[in-house]
Parts: sequence; structure tokens; C-alpha cells
Amino acid sequence: MIRTKRFVAALRRTPSDVKRLFQEPLLLMGIVLVNVFLFLFVVLPLFKIFQLSFEDNGRFSLQVFVDLMSKRYNVQPLIHSLTLGVAVSILGTLIGFIFAYAITRVNIPWKRFFTVTATFPIIAPPFMMSLSAILLFGKQGFVSKMILREIIQFKIYGFWGLLVVETLTYFSTAYLTLYGVLQAIDPALEDAALDLGASKGKIFRSITLPLATPGIASAILLIFSQSLADFGNPMILAGNYTILATQAYLTIVGMYNMKGGAALAILLLIPSLIAFCVQKYWVSRKSYVTVTGKPSAARIKVDRSLTKYSIFGLCLLLASVIFLFYGMILFGSVVKLWGANHSLTLANYAHVFTIGWEYIKDTLILSSIATPISGVLAMIIAFLVVRKNFPGKRLMELVSLLTFAVPGTVVGIGYILAFNQRPLLLTGTAAIIVLLFIFRDIAVGVQTGIAELQQIDPSIEEASTDLGADSSITFRRITLPLITPAFYSGLAFTFVKCMTAISAVIFVVSGKWNLITIAILGSVENSDLSQAAAFSVVIIIFILLALWLIQFLVNRLGGGRKLKFEKAESLQSI
Amino acid sequence: MKRIKRVAFMSVLLALCVGTPLLAGAADVLHMYTALDPNEAKVYIEAFIKDTKINVEWVRMSAGEVLTRLKAEAKNPQVSLWFGGPSTEFIAGKKEGLLVPYKSPVGAPFLKGNLKDAEDYWTGFYFGAIGFGNNTNWFEKNKVPYPTSWQDLLKPEFKGQISIAYPYTSGTAFTTLATVCMVMGEDKAFDYWKKLDANIHHYNTSGSACVTQAGLGEIAIGIAFSHDILAKGTSKGYPVKGSFPSEGTGYEIGGLGLIKGGPEPELGKKFIDWTLSKRAQDLMQVWFRIPLNPEAEIAAGATKAADVKLINYDDEWAGNNNKRLIEKWRQMIGK
Repeated sequence: MIRTKRFVAALRRTPSDVKRLFQEPLLLMGIVLVNVFLFLFVVLPLFKIFQLSFEDNGRFSLQVFVDLMSKRYNVQPLIHSLTLGVAVSILGTLIGFIFAYAITRVNIPWKRFFTVTATFPIIAPPFMMSLSAILLFGKQGFVSKMILREIIQFKIYGFWGLLVVETLTYFSTAYLTLYGVLQAIDPALEDAALDLGASKGKIFRSITLPLATPGIASAILLIFSQSLADFGNPMILAGNYTILATQAYLTIVGMYNMKGGAALAILLLIPSLIAFCVQKYWVSRKSYVTVTGKPSAARIKVDRSLTKYSIFGLCLLLASVIFLFYGMILFGSVVKLWGANHSLTLANYAHVFTIGWEYIKDTLILSSIATPISGVLAMIIAFLVVRKNFPGKRLMELVSLLTFAVPGTVVGIGYILAFNQRPLLLTGTAAIIVLLFIFRDIAVGVQTGIAELQQIDPSIEEASTDLGADSSITFRRITLPLITPAFYSGLAFTFVKCMTAISAVIFVVSGKWNLITIAILGSVENSDLSQAAAFSVVIIIFILLALWLIQFLVNRLGGGRKLKFEKAESLQSI
Repeated sequence: MKRIKRVAFMSVLLALCVGTPLLAGAADVLHMYTALDPNEAKVYIEAFIKDTKINVEWVRMSAGEVLTRLKAEAKNPQVSLWFGGPSTEFIAGKKEGLLVPYKSPVGAPFLKGNLKDAEDYWTGFYFGAIGFGNNTNWFEKNKVPYPTSWQDLLKPEFKGQISIAYPYTSGTAFTTLATVCMVMGEDKAFDYWKKLDANIHHYNTSGSACVTQAGLGEIAIGIAFSHDILAKGTSKGYPVKGSFPSEGTGYEIGGLGLIKGGPEPELGKKFIDWTLSKRAQDLMQVWFRIPLNPEAEIAAGATKAADVKLINYDDEWAGNNNKRLIEKWRQMIGK
């Protein structure tokens, strides 16, 4: 009784927006539910990892790290991962910059073609590049055996192989980030310099490059974390160059050592979180880009033939390398037995659609369940964060972003630790895979939603409220239709990520539920390269079909707006 | 239109709340983990379904992964049977208390000695010896004889030409590690492996992967089980030929066993009985495994126990020293 009185008293003292919450039970319920879900499926798994690593007989202890770092087989992967991450991020950003500069600043032909080439790696399963590297440059590779006739031996297993495939996979991130940055630089600045007599080279050095520097730093940090989190490529191509993400997996799966695996996961988490925080709270604040909204004059593009054609040639070279890699997968998928019998056959596709069908079916079912849930949840979070005031709002946004900063391997380990006993017994079920899909990439949906909502005048929603609608009706009838493009972009992004996920889900797949990516990894491991290639082609076809379907829905429901899929990806950097 | 959106919205919310405990389960389905190659496991499992009308849901994992998974699920076993994998792994499983005994009446007449667990916690169903899978093209081109002893593998001409799996992820590689310990004595064996490491191209996670790599010419020699060398190399059309060490080689008894607290123990027992029958043991010809049932047919060209010099492989010792040997190996090799 006294407690109730106190509660009521406390309620009277609370600020008005909290009081308002109690007047709208549905809104309150929504906030509570979202927080509960975020706590359970984002915070709890991470907490479990920390708990397992730092707790020794109920007391805080760093013993496990002392043990860990005293062993050569743990220290090496850490050094390797960081070295590789730095190398990939610098090279990837350089290539991304060349593409972005060429498309925004130089008058080159075939821009559409280059844009597609530079963004294609986003929708392809990340480890496809490794598979292709073996098909091209392995000892039986297309280039090494058939073209160069074994004159040159490529060392593809290890650092150099990983550097090439990860650069080709992740430069897209740099391209999208830098494209946005370069596009946003006000042409008036460059025009003014030109009028004052500066050369194109001088403008590039003294205006474009300095203004793009925060973008470049962003791109480097983003690629660095992507490289750290990469699991599929090192699994296939690392050879003796051991990498943290795969070592954490092998420690748990091969050595049955949960504690050691969790500790390795933390070693992996720390540099990722540092990169994320530096990028989010330091680099992105240094942005010099000013969006005025004023229609500015068309940008004058570099048109001097020497510069123009050397940049065009460079882009063409890079694009052909990318084409070569993906084309090889297509070719590999119709070869009978790679390396021994190169007659053409469709038998690999027959295998994919018979033995592999279970994997495809499961992947499609689970992705299709997770995608809309993740999309709606992301929009709800975005709506709450932008439009509503409640205690813990910032924290909610941060937690929803957290999923993005944490490498998949860490999340996967967290999930098996958190959900393998009652009352949260989920291991072995479809639910754990679906939940992982939902919360793994929700950050992108939330960020797209927030960006879209901030551009919409709140008075439209206020009008709805004034006319007597409550928050849920306003959200459903006004907000959601207004942010449909962001919603569908989020859907497309999530679906692609579900179809190509591997690093986290590899820990939670089970007898009843399995995924195509896992099947591909198994095929590559057994050197059934043609089979793996056929599986990869099928994944890409399903992804393209799904993107087409979502675009079709946007056209029908969203009034013909263009799907901003690329925007969703580039928003990672915001 | 609005209604559709509302219905869609509500159903998504509903799915979010209700969909969480998405548990599926049906009667008369046997759930199992298998460490056999999926293409091979499919042959046996489909024949079992045809013969008994019992449905099977199965997942393939390496033997080490099966053990980890069973340990993680010990409080709530998801499967009833562990099908395939070397006996050493089953011995580790028995030690962890993950298995329950079952004495198959079908196997009783011929499963003697180390072909099964003394207390029937696991049952053997095939035999296979460790050997070297050699890429014939490489050996012809370099005019080098095939390796015929453990010492041969240390020859400088094989630098970067040998592949095997990590002993901690693969039953094949661990059997090899235990074998050299038994052949040379533990200390010498680790000195040996330190030298061998210089010749290793890279370590795989799966034991049989090196056979295809040898077939593809990525490496010259893969260390694997004889049946894998034949099934994944020679019989597939790769230029691979097996050879065996003259000092003697180790072997595996492939096993299967019932999971403690598994949901379908009776179906699991039926599967064990079926696996030991002549009908099932005949099928093992597809993978060149040597069946334990003496009435079963053996594939032409398969490596029988009498064909190679075998050591007295002590799988109890190997199983009981698994953790220690692996830790020592990792400390030394640094991987």
C-alpha cells in the first residue's frame, strides 16, 4: 500500500513525457517490448561472453587472458588479424576512392556499368571471392594452369590471398561512403578555385582531398572492422595464416573450449568496438560537408584526355578483375570435376536442387520470416527514437547500433552461451536462427529509418494526433507510409544479409535447420569446388529475384519510388 | 489496401511474440548427427528409411563438432544417435557421460575385442587404416618414389607438399598423431611432427579434404584414411594412389552410439541393428570402407587389414589422452 503511494507520488514528480506514456498504454507496451527484445537478443549474449571470460569461481579475474596471451597459437591470430585489417582497409579505400572519384569528378564513359560493378560485391556471399581465387589462381586454377602454364606459382593461401579477396569484397563500402562524400562537396568551392586560376591537380590536392578526408577515414575504419569480422574468406583461404574469427570458432568447435573461445571473441571485439567508436563519435563529427539544399550549379568534370583516359583505364582494369572473379564462379559451376575433368555439365545444379534443396528451402524460409519482422521492428525503433521522448531513448538507439559494431563470430558465440539452457532454451530450433537474423542487421534498418524520418515534418503526425489518433494509429497510418522507401531498403538489405550470413549462424545451425552458406563452406572444405560454385550462383539468383520482388512491391505500393538499396549500405557510415 | 497493411502489421507483431518458441517435433523420426561425408551418409540413411519406414533427420559435422554439440546439449539432447566417427571420439564421449550402452544382438557374433566398447557404450561398424594419398602426376614429373614410411615424409623434396587436418578438428588427424606416438614413443613423435610441420602446406579442418587437394595437385601427399583416399580420390577420377608406412600404421574402428537422454532410443537401437546387418554392411562398398560383418561384400581394391602392416593401435590410450596430446601439439606447432 505504502509502496503504491510512493509510486504514485513518484509518478507525479516525473516529467510530462513520462506521464504521457502512461496515458498511451500501447506506446508504453511498445517501448517496453522493444527494450526487452533488445536486452535479450543484443545485450544478454554479449554479457554472457564477458561473464564467461572474466568470471573465475564467482570473482572477477583476468586469468583467462593471461593464459590466452601466454600461448603462441593465440597471440599470432591477433597480430595476423590486425595486420590484415590495416592492409585491407588502406587498399580497399584506395580502390573505392578511385571509383568514387571517377564517377563523381571525371567525364568517363560507362558510368552505369562501373557503378554496378562497384556495388555488386555487396549482394554476393562474401566468401565467393575466395572460392573464385582458388578457381583462378590455385594450382589447377584457370589462370595459373591454363593461361600461364604453371610458369608462375601463386601463393593464394595466406596473407596475400586474403588481402586480394577481402579488398575486392569490401572496397564497395569505401566506394559508397566516398561517393556520398564527394557528391556532397559543394561544387561552388571547386568552381571558385578554378576561377582563381588553380589547376585541376591543385584543386584535387587543396580542396577535394582535404574535404574528403573525414570520409576517407570513415571508409578505412569501416573496412577495418569488416575485415576483422570476416569469417568465410579466412575459413577457406587462410592456410597457415591463422585469423582471430576462425580461431575463436575452432577453439569452441574443435577444442570444446567455451571459455577460451569467449576470450578470443573479446580480443576480436575490442578493436572492432574501438574502430566503431572512433568512426561514429570522432571522424563523422569532423565532417566538413555542408548540405545547403540550395540547387547548385552542375559540377565541372575533369575532361582532359590524359587524366580522363588513365582513370578510365584504371577503372576498366579493376572492373575486369571483379568480372573475372565472378565470371569464374559461373564457369566453375558447369564444370564436371574441377582440376581433373573439365567437360561441361549441369550435374552440379542437379546436386544443388536435390541434395542441396533442403538447405535452400531452410534458408529461404528463415530469411523470409526474419526479414519483415526485422524491417518493422527497425521502423518502430526509428519512430520511437526520432518522434517520442522517454527515458533511456539514447541507450535504445545505441544498443540497436551495437549489433553493427560486433563481429558475427562474437554474436554467434554469445547466442550459444545465452540460449542453451532453460528458460531460454533455443539452441537447435529455428527460432534462434531467425532471432539472430532479425537482430544481426537491425542497425541498418534503424539508421535508414531515422535518416528518413528526420526529413519529414513532424507536424504531419501532430495533425493526426490533434485529430484524436493515438501513437499506434499515427505510426501505422501516417509514419509508416511516409517512410516506406526506408522500410523497403531495410528489407532488401536484411534479406541479402540473411541469405549470405555465415559468421554468426554457423554456431546455431542444427539438425533440423541448415543454411546454404554452411553447405558451400562444407563443399569448399571438401574441395568440391564446382558444387560450391553452383550453390553460390543459386544464392545470387535468389537474391536478385528477391530484390526484384521488393522493387516491384515498392513500385506498386510506394508510388514508383526507386529502391534506395545503395543508400542503406552507405548509411552505415553515418 | 489499408486493411491489408493493418493485417500485415498485426501479423508481424504476432509473429514476433508467438514465433519465438518455434519448436518442431514429430513422432517416428530418428534424429542423428553423423560425422560421415554427407554424400555417403545419404546412401545409408536412405536405405534405412526404405527398409524400416522410419524417417531420419540428420546433420553432418566433423567428429569433434559432434562431441562439442552433444556436450552443449547434454541438458536437453536434440538427437538420439551419433553415427560415424573414429572410436577414439566415442571413447571421449563415453568419458563425458554423453552415451548410454546398447548391446546389439545383430553384432554380438562378430564384434569382438576392440571392435566395440567393452561395456557397449559404442559399437563399431567399419575398419579403415591411415595411409598416404599421392598425386601420381607430381611423383612422375619430379621422379620421386612414393613415401612408404613415416620418415619418408620428412624428405626435403616434400617441402610444402603435404597436407593433413588439425588434430583438434579432425578424427583422422588425431588418429595420425596418436599413431606416430605409438610407433615412435611420445617424445620422439613430437620431435618428428616438428620436422614434419616444415613440409606441411597447410592444415585443414576436415580430415578427408586433403585427398581432394592431392587429387587437384594443390599438394602432392595427403595423409588420410585409406577409404577416403579411394572414395574421394582414385574412384572419382583424380590421379591419386595410396601408399602405407612400413613402420606400421594406425587405424580407426568407425563407431556409432546411443545418446544419453535422446528422444528416440528405440529407433536408435533399430538403426544400430540395421547398420550391422549384411544388407547395410554391403553398402559400405560405395565408400571403400571395410565392413566388420564377415558376411558382407568388400569393394574391389579396398584396403583390408591384411593388406597393410598395422600397429597395435590403443584407442583407449588415444581417447583418454586426447586433450593432453592436442594441447601439447598446439603449444609446439603454434596453430
